[in-house]
Amino acid sequence: MSGGRQAVGQILGYTRMLLRAYVRDRSALFFSVVLPLMFMLIFGALNFGSFGHVTVGIDDEAQNADSARFTAILQGVETLSVRKGTLVGERESLVKGDRDLVIVIPKDFRLAPAAAGTATPPALTVYANAGRAQQASVGQAILAQVVDQLTFAVNRTAPVVALRVERVNSRDLRYVDFLVPGILAMTIMQLGISGVAFGLVAAKQRGVLRRIMATPFPPRRFLAAQVLQRLILAVVQTLILLGVALLAFRVQVVGSLAELLAVTILGSVVFLCLGFALAGWATTENQVAPLTQIVTLPQLFLSGVFFATDAVPAVVRPLTSLLPLTFLADALREISTNGATLWDVRGALLGLLVWSAIGFALAVRLFRFES
Amino acid sequence: MPSIISVADLVKRYGPLEAVRGISFEVGEGEIFGLLGPNGAGKTTTVEILEGLRRADAGSAVVAGVDVVHDPQAVKDRIGVQLQASAFPENFLAKEVIDLFALFYGRRVDALALLAAVDLADKAGSRQEKLSGGQRQRLSIAVAMVNEPRVLFLDEPTTGLDPQARRNLWELIRKIRQRGTTVFLTTHYLDEAEILCDRVAVMDGGRIIALDAPGALVAALLARGFTKPALQQQANLEDVFLDLTGRELRED
Repeated sequence: MSGGRQAVGQILGYTRMLLRAYVRDRSALFFSVVLPLMFMLIFGALNFGSFGHVTVGIDDEAQNADSARFTAILQGVETLSVRKGTLVGERESLVKGDRDLVIVIPKDFRLAPAAAGTATPPALTVYANAGRAQQASVGQAILAQVVDQLTFAVNRTAPVVALRVERVNSRDLRYVDFLVPGILAMTIMQLGISGVAFGLVAAKQRGVLRRIMATPFPPRRFLAAQVLQRLILAVVQTLILLGVALLAFRVQVVGSLAELLAVTILGSVVFLCLGFALAGWATTENQVAPLTQIVTLPQLFLSGVFFATDAVPAVVRPLTSLLPLTFLADALREISTNGATLWDVRGALLGLLVWSAIGFALAVRLFRFES
Repeated sequence: MPSIISVADLVKRYGPLEAVRGISFEVGEGEIFGLLGPNGAGKTTTVEILEGLRRADAGSAVVAGVDVVHDPQAVKDRIGVQLQASAFPENFLAKEVIDLFALFYGRRVDALALLAAVDLADKAGSRQEKLSGGQRQRLSIAVAMVNEPRVLFLDEPTTGLDPQARRNLWELIRKIRQRGTTVFLTTHYLDEAEILCDRVAVMDGGRIIALDAPGALVAALLARGFTKPALQQQANLEDVFLDLTGRELRED
């Protein structure tokens, strides 16, 4: 029994020392906290890849109460930012890329039931920015919805409908809400794969592991502390990044924080195992960089960290949907943005479990203390 | 003098290559014992077997009462080691390195006292990677002493050190022996072996080809009629260097 207590004491003591040394390591702190924050800042604040804001120019030729009401409804939709101007000026802005859509409200515009048998209803003319197809189509979809609701409201009796339109769109469409779970998944992958592979291969090559293996300290306890240290780091890192996302970017986390952390830990296990496998495969520090990049870079772009996986060509999508980072990013995103529960994301969790089994088998097979 | 290391007919093969070819020797308790030989002679393999880092293929070796051929893991608790081409983890302070290794041995030690014993008390709060070559060797000896070992293994302890740092380390090794610890070292420097060791074994091609006190080996050579053509000088270039630069320890 005292052997067991000594083991726990040694593992925790070594973990504590590793964490203390980690905090002292400026470059490690940079890669694990500062860099992801910079990503969040650049992609989030510059709203790069944004489909969240659709800029709409309105040329109101009717200038009546009904056209003003219609414009007000559009202004009430959070996703849209509405500018008013002349057709010439607005079209110029569209060409320059400052507008995603330009809507022309015709002179005969009114919100009333069409008289039976009379001519066509007043037609809105819409110019779309072909260069920003995603934004233009979102704008058109919202516009169509607004027109439908208005038609419904005018022809029956129901009054205001704009609020419902806004609710449907606002949550899903903020890019930073989409981005933050992706960034979390990315940092967990980096901490696992790059952190372990670079750290352990360097330790192996410089003879640190040899020196430790010359003491009676059992290899299992060494590995346990190395894993425990990184699991703690993953949780702390997630909390820091989430804290900044919540406070600075006002990101909405709809689901449970505890479930988010649980997925974080499962994801860390997967990537730690893969990291140990790579650390076993690579014998010199020069081999580590290309190896880790071969494993991490494709996932960074194909697993929906920065962009929805819809952007990935359909041919490779069946493959990319099986990548470990895809499972992790999907699960984190579903919980964070849609309020999913662990049960709801069981498919992704199963994927992560399968990957952790594969990673563990590879790690056991490939990892060696001596190079 | 009772033996603390007994080796008999020890063999180690790497594939078709026989690195150690049935060597036998004894090291007495409290001795400073040197293992000499050119590169590839089998010195490091022999030392690593005695340290429990490699398994022997045949023969027997008992170190501090542990049969390292059958139970290499058990010897690690009783010996202290300084390995060639090894390092301590980065971002650890010198005193934290001591605490880390004490933890690995399941002991509590006074890190500052151990550092003071190797003249590093003022470097306790420095990161280990910032220490000079000589300071790092002394730290590594302090680390090797955390478990109060009965035998201290030093693999080429003075390689890469300047003459002042080498002399400083010799002093330290003598002090450790005075406290009753047996010292087993390998070296390429024959002057070092001559000055420091009570007995030396010369290894070549996996065999021990001579074993005795340095003085006795020299006397035996002279008795065979050996003469040096060169003029016997009362000083050499190293004496000049030390006369010019002093014996005081430098730290870069």
